[in-house]
Amino acid sequence: MATGNKTRDTLWTLIAAPTIWAVHFALSYGSVAYGCAPNENVFADIGGFRIFVGGLTVVALVGIGFIFARALGEWRGNGGRMPHDEDTAAVRERFLEFSTVLLAGLSFIAVIYTALPVALMADCR
Amino acid sequence: MIFVCAGFAGCTSPQSALDPAGTEAETVATLFWVMLVGAILIWLAVIGLSVFATRIRPKAYGETAGLRLIVWGGCVFPVVVLTALLVWGLQMMPPMRAEANGPTIAVSGERFWWRVAYGVEGEPGVSKTLPEGGTPSANEIWLPAGQRTELLLGSPDVIHSLWVPSIAGKMDAIPGRVNRLVVEPTKPGVYNGVCAEFCGDAHAQMALRVVVVPADEYEAYVARQGAPASVETGNAGFRAFMQNGCDACHAVRGTGAAGEVGPDLTHLASRRTIAAATLPMSRDNLAEFIGFTHRVKPGVQMPSYGMLAEEEIAAIAGWLETLQ
Amino acid sequence: MSDVTLDRSATRWAGKRDDDDVPAELNFGNVPPASTRNQEDPEVRAGQEARLRHVWAEPKGWRYWSAVNNTEVGLWYTATSFAFMLFAGVLGLMIRVQLAAPDNDFLTASFYNQVYTLHGTVMMFLFAVPIFEAVAIILLPQMLGARDLPFPRLSAFGYWCFLIGGVFVCGSIFFGAAPEGGWFMYPPLTTQERFSPGYGADIWLLGLSFIEVASIAAAVELIVGTLKCRPPGMRLNLMPLYAWYVLVVAGMILFAFPPLIAGDILFELERLFNWPFFDPERGGDPMLWQHLFWIFGHPEVYIVFLPAIALLAMIVPTFARRPIVGYSFIVLAAVGTGFLSFGLWVHHMFATGLPAISLGFFSAASEAVAIPTAVQIFVFVATLLAGRVIYSVPMLFVSGALAIFVIGGLTGVMVALAPFDWQAHDTYFVVGHLHYVLIGGMLFPVVAGVYYFWPMMGGRRLSDKLGKIAFWLMFVGFNTAFLPMHWSGLVGMPRRVWTYPADIGLDLPNLVSSVGAFVFAAGFVTVVWDVLRPRNGEPYADRNTWNAGTLEWLAEVPDEAWGVRSVPIVTSRYPLWEQKNLMADVDMGRFYMPDAEEGKRETMVTSVLDAEPVQCLRVPGPTFMTFWAAIFLGAVFILATFHLWTLTLATAVLATGAILVWLWRGTALQPEKDEKDVGLGLKLPLYASGPKSVGWWAMFITMTGDATAFVSLVFGYFFYFTVSPVFPPPMMAGEEIGPGLAWPLVALALFAASWLAAIFARNTNKAASLGTARLLMGAGALLSLAASAAILWGPYVTGLVPTVHVYPATVWVLAIWTACHGAAGALMLAYCLARSLAGRMTPTHDIDIVNVALYWHFMAGTALVTVATIALFPLAV
Repeated sequence: MATGNKTRDTLWTLIAAPTIWAVHFALSYGSVAYGCAPNENVFADIGGFRIFVGGLTVVALVGIGFIFARALGEWRGNGGRMPHDEDTAAVRERFLEFSTVLLAGLSFIAVIYTALPVALMADCR
Repeated sequence: MIFVCAGFAGCTSPQSALDPAGTEAETVATLFWVMLVGAILIWLAVIGLSVFATRIRPKAYGETAGLRLIVWGGCVFPVVVLTALLVWGLQMMPPMRAEANGPTIAVSGERFWWRVAYGVEGEPGVSKTLPEGGTPSANEIWLPAGQRTELLLGSPDVIHSLWVPSIAGKMDAIPGRVNRLVVEPTKPGVYNGVCAEFCGDAHAQMALRVVVVPADEYEAYVARQGAPASVETGNAGFRAFMQNGCDACHAVRGTGAAGEVGPDLTHLASRRTIAAATLPMSRDNLAEFIGFTHRVKPGVQMPSYGMLAEEEIAAIAGWLETLQ
Repeated sequence: MSDVTLDRSATRWAGKRDDDDVPAELNFGNVPPASTRNQEDPEVRAGQEARLRHVWAEPKGWRYWSAVNNTEVGLWYTATSFAFMLFAGVLGLMIRVQLAAPDNDFLTASFYNQVYTLHGTVMMFLFAVPIFEAVAIILLPQMLGARDLPFPRLSAFGYWCFLIGGVFVCGSIFFGAAPEGGWFMYPPLTTQERFSPGYGADIWLLGLSFIEVASIAAAVELIVGTLKCRPPGMRLNLMPLYAWYVLVVAGMILFAFPPLIAGDILFELERLFNWPFFDPERGGDPMLWQHLFWIFGHPEVYIVFLPAIALLAMIVPTFARRPIVGYSFIVLAAVGTGFLSFGLWVHHMFATGLPAISLGFFSAASEAVAIPTAVQIFVFVATLLAGRVIYSVPMLFVSGALAIFVIGGLTGVMVALAPFDWQAHDTYFVVGHLHYVLIGGMLFPVVAGVYYFWPMMGGRRLSDKLGKIAFWLMFVGFNTAFLPMHWSGLVGMPRRVWTYPADIGLDLPNLVSSVGAFVFAAGFVTVVWDVLRPRNGEPYADRNTWNAGTLEWLAEVPDEAWGVRSVPIVTSRYPLWEQKNLMADVDMGRFYMPDAEEGKRETMVTSVLDAEPVQCLRVPGPTFMTFWAAIFLGAVFILATFHLWTLTLATAVLATGAILVWLWRGTALQPEKDEKDVGLGLKLPLYASGPKSVGWWAMFITMTGDATAFVSLVFGYFFYFTVSPVFPPPMMAGEEIGPGLAWPLVALALFAASWLAAIFARNTNKAASLGTARLLMGAGALLSLAASAAILWGPYVTGLVPTVHVYPATVWVLAIWTACHGAAGALMLAYCLARSLAGRMTPTHDIDIVNVALYWHFMAGTALVTVATIALFPLAV
């Protein structure tokens, strides 16, 4: 099965990027909810938690960016071309790589979206 | 935008989110009209394109055209529009929940009416109940125009939600929590509020009135509400009120009636409505509510007093009507 | 003849009765392997067809109801879902009659509340989700050129659960005992006797919990079906898009339904035993239910929507006469939506007073999910653009679906912004929005699917004329009914009101809505009539009547029970378009498995990525055991509703017994030989255990769902920790409460020991040290029972009373969960021991113990997390 690339793509590599989004999302929400509990002093600054989420966002974006670059590189480097409908293991590999690229793109945007509230709001009001 | 709205009945309604009388409602109405125009344009474009492709010019445009459409129409365009919209919507929130500069009013959603207390001190939070004290009233909230009033919302029984569409969006009243809703009414007037979270059989009849007045008038109103009732207690109406146990649930400050379960009736007749805005205030309606309680408001907690003689009901209603 | 006798006892194992007539000319057991026969010989083919027909025949007479094949079960499932839908539709019309005029008294407040609650509940739980499972059970094997799903009896069991639970929930309204708290049942309104007396809420809770079990069963079935039962050569990049969606949606069910099951457990413990999970006076918080419900509830919207979109993804290419444009984009959209939909749940809770910054995360995810949704819409538009479109009734419904759904999507983008939602939330705007999404995103596509697939199911096309009439009535009626609702909502009409006052501008829009609702209903009745009307004498439709490209259209007209005549080798996305002569080759049996030589139901198992053949899977045939298992399990839930505890326990024992009998007789069967020739010179093993077997995957997937429910309960513990001022609470001054350290640690040690026993039992069994293996199984079972007792003994001996405060209640619920799983683990080990002693499990045929060892990995994790949470965490804070 000569698929001509370094990483063998599977369904697990396909969902790696959105999984990073999910972890980032859960940690962002969880930390801010914990930081704001019990929602009493609503105008107090929660700077520490915002910095935490900011750091988390950078890590998530780097991770997703890496997946994006890896999949795109392998897809391009091996002459990936739509519509990926040929009957070879190599084309299946190209298909998974391209889908990974798309999902990583979506996850990248979704992580930025998740970070926006933390950028725009400073307290628990 | 107002032009669009002018043609419809709901735009000049005391209960319409599209006829704003408060800063929050106004911000949201603007947001809505902008999004509506955008939505109509997008819908026309998408559906127009598919009708064009299948009906008007049904030929094969080729795969490249299709892919281009997916990338630009399905990916790039939504990302741009949604990002702008999201940033706009997010930065709208902190000012809408900014600090108040007016009074603090506790509003408790109860099955199936609103307990109001003016001038309380307290904070929102979880695992707590509404602050005690303040000037008691019910089913009518007066607000000073031009000031940011903080409403503290809670409930002793089930979840309710206070919604006064013309003034601001809704906020839930949740047992065991105190929520905070900041409102800034701009136009004096009388507005309708409703319960927006299903709370049981009389949910549909758990409404209230919001009266927006200039700040000085607000102060005077709260002072009046704080005073005990100046009312005759020697007549048949009051006797019937006490004999039939109305005081077990209702308070009329200044008389012996000190019940705390139902609405405070000290200044009942000064309100515009009875039974949580189910009927307008009038002697006849008071009598009807006492005599046919569950027909007027099915599911209400108050027992029906239909077994009383008509004259007795009339006497109670007549006495209640003097509670100015 | 000895072969035949052997075969007969085997068919009994497969659930058939001994006295089944097996005509001698079928010659089961004595047929030469497929590879050695000449497929061009009509006599050979006739023999093969007779055998296949006999093997796959549906049972006759009253035994028809013992069928488990996907065709029958799928049909029952679909018909039942539609029946529930019509029932809920009538409820919807009653709502519209009541609201047609202000201050109306057609229904009383209490009855109206029952009606709207059941309308929502039935539409969501008994139609929208089950119809996905129903359609997938029919279509998926057909699209994958499979003869059946890998666990036919599980499908049948799921169906019977669904039917019993659904009838129970729906029936309640005829006794005035229906739930009346809305389809999301917010406590404390629904948990406390003083607010909701009677059985309504219990019926809702227990009836639906039962159905949720069925949904998870279907999810397990469909995931394994998609990943492991594709035809040889159907690589991931060649899978029909429908299969991609099924995979994603079944995966979503696995993570979405368990939180609700966890919520149901807490909810019912409060209702039945007064454990104060949602009672703020004893430390509880009604918000936990909202979190758990919507972690389920929002993904559920996509669980409903994606499979319907999947139907569009099959229909659009057929009528555009070309492959879909942007296959990868659909995969992106399906998978992306599947993930993002789990980050939306709080947008149902925007008005609950959570900090704006928290709401912001959910606004963000709610906007983000619009991107993959837009991609899907544009993929369809692009395919229409790139193709040469032929118009027909299914396409009409597709266009209607797009026109309606896009409006629902756009209003969805609006309500995703918290500030706008503060106005729109819980009003008729949201009612309008959700109907646009669900009817445009689900009902119209499903009706399109009915018109499209009916020729395959019923052999004839539905009427074009009636279809057009139905479409226009539905389309115009729908918009007339639901567009004005956006308006009513914004001008002040909250949802769930049984009446509204005159003079505030709500009269006209409501009247218009009511009229529209009846027009819409007339349209749907037309569809029902078109399906049900007698059509004797009408000619059969052509085979592959729409000239589609995917394998489900291999179905013969009229249909044959075997699914496919032979299992084809697939080399393209649209095999009927792109692979020359495919249909003829399939029909001539020129591909794999053209015969049922041994008289067994068989289907092919292939590898996940490239669908290389790995096993010839024997699937079980008809049985009543699944029916009885569902009856007894249903009885457990129903009797518990009415607090009949003795009978509940008795039926629980019967249900367990029925399930054990079913497993004993119908699973992990040892084939009469190790491998078999499936044609074209290919020999495949008949038995596989471990990750190679479908059963191992089913266990893995089920336990993933189970672990999700457990994590939800643990989430509950930490939720209370976050919202309580002090947790664990100081019950008496200076005195700490908790389950102590000693007993939980003892329990953990014992669980660890039984976990090791299970692993070593697996290994020693494989190494053929049967004595040691059996000893370990027995010891493991006993250790596990002891561990379960120990984990319960901790909170008991330290005097934790669950009704006093939410803290002890939460500790108890985690301990009980773990103990129940420990008991189940013990039962499994004992079952393996019995199988080993009975010779049904051997060193080479060890599916049972391998799967049980897998269960024990999850069990060990559960025990560890429970002990860490209830015993160790309080020490750390």
